Amino acid sequence: MIASDSSLEVQLALLNSVLKAARVGMIVLDSQERVVLWNQWMEQHAFCSSESVFGKSFVELYPELTNGRAHNAIKGALKDNFASLISQTLNKAPFPLFANADDRLVGTRIQQAVQVMPIDLPSHLPLQQHCLIQITDVSMAVAREKQLRDLAMELQGQIFADGLTGIPNRRRFDEHMEGEFRRAKRASTPLSLIMIDVDSFKDYNDNYGHQKGDECLILIAAALSRILGRPCDLVARYGGEEFMAVLPNTNADGALVFAESMRNEIASLAIEHAYSKVAPHVTISLGVITQIPSHNTAIPHLIGAADRALYQAKRNGRNCVVVHGDKPKTAASPAAA
Amino acid sequence: MFQLDELQHDALVELFNQGVGQAAAAMSQIVHEEVTMSVPLITFQSRAEVAQELGGPEARRICAVTQTYQGAFNTEAMLMFPEEKSLEIVRLMVGQSVTMEELSEMEQEAMSEIGNIILNSCMSTLANIAGKELHGSLPIYRIGTSDQILGSSDNQWSGMVLTLKIDFNIEKHEINGYVAFLLDTTALHDLQAYLQQYLSGLMP
Repeated sequence: MIASDSSLEVQLALLNSVLKAARVGMIVLDSQERVVLWNQWMEQHAFCSSESVFGKSFVELYPELTNGRAHNAIKGALKDNFASLISQTLNKAPFPLFANADDRLVGTRIQQAVQVMPIDLPSHLPLQQHCLIQITDVSMAVAREKQLRDLAMELQGQIFADGLTGIPNRRRFDEHMEGEFRRAKRASTPLSLIMIDVDSFKDYNDNYGHQKGDECLILIAAALSRILGRPCDLVARYGGEEFMAVLPNTNADGALVFAESMRNEIASLAIEHAYSKVAPHVTISLGVITQIPSHNTAIPHLIGAADRALYQAKRNGRNCVVVHGDKPKTAASPAAA
Repeated sequence: MFQLDELQHDALVELFNQGVGQAAAAMSQIVHEEVTMSVPLITFQSRAEVAQELGGPEARRICAVTQTYQGAFNTEAMLMFPEEKSLEIVRLMVGQSVTMEELSEMEQEAMSEIGNIILNSCMSTLANIAGKELHGSLPIYRIGTSDQILGSSDNQWSGMVLTLKIDFNIEKHEINGYVAFLLDTTALHDLQAYLQQYLSGLMP
């Protein structure tokens, strides 16, 4: 609205100056979709003067937008009096508008939020339906959101990765385990869990130093991850020199095969360990539990069972696999080291 | 309670199916993928009934895009999804894999556009049969409980809600949403009159 106590001439001059000052693009089309208003923001960012576009139809100006979303919105405003919103997210910069001459040269468009509104005109005027196209520069908001999204991605990666080895951490394990446990329960499928511990790791650290110890853990983490190939499988660093493998839809026989491959893989790395009580190189012990989760089992039971099997493997002389529920003596034999 | 007769009811379902069909075509054009939509069911209910059905026992949060229309008949129209479904739709439409727990500013705008397309298409078919002008506002994005969205605590209002169940299919995902039109007594009778006029035009 504009104060009407000044002359029409003054009111018109004021309105024109306002249009000039506005920091949004404004185009007004008549009922034939011809340009009757083109503000200065449009001149500046479309790189064409209002004189050069007056009287031209929308399709003449933007042939590539014919019957597209923006054009249909214009038709909707002129025919049905409906307002439309054309979001940047779903319509990547429909109008060729540029922040500056350099951007225009390389073709980097302003990110746009577009609104198409029917214009109500006083009924005593001999004018047909018009519509207003308003274009807002949302480049800043888009950039800000991209930054946030990238950051969120990076953080998500960091939250769930072990800082030293880069494989999933305990937090990721807990989350994964919860999902797989629920799935196995619902589908009544076996879920296997392997707990892995590096043999005589304290002796390794004490004699070769912590830096060597860290390197050793990195090699082991990578080797364990290599064994598991299915997308639902997961190896995580559980604590110090302890690792956990989650194997959904895997029965006890399958889990034993995986565990043995892991044991062999680590042995074949042949990382020298002169102070090991088992072999001249680094070895691991593994405890395996397989279960079809039911209503009266919980994740801690499963982890506890894997832990007990691992303890049994240690007692059986290390560098071996023990499956939970097997009699203590029937543990898999230690390989020739 | 307000009721349409069987023919009027069937005509309205047919008209809304035309409307969402056009909306689906517009959305397919945007995402370059097949989007289909249909309206299997329409009902007239009180605001409290709609709020209860949408919110469920746990009073879940609803994401809504609302627009007002004035002219041939006056109504507040809204597209509504449970909040998590709105995340899913925007993710599918935009093709972004990471979505935060809430829609970002730009995603809200995308959601508003989806609502804008669907609501305008539905109203366009009604404006056509009414043969009268109908002015539509820009969409507003809102989030809240179904009671807040529908304003069902306002006891003064004596109208009805015309609800459309919408089956929305994109990339093998089916998502169900609701479109609701708040209609006061005058608007209800206007709508019924236009339907009757449309039907008598079909059967001379």
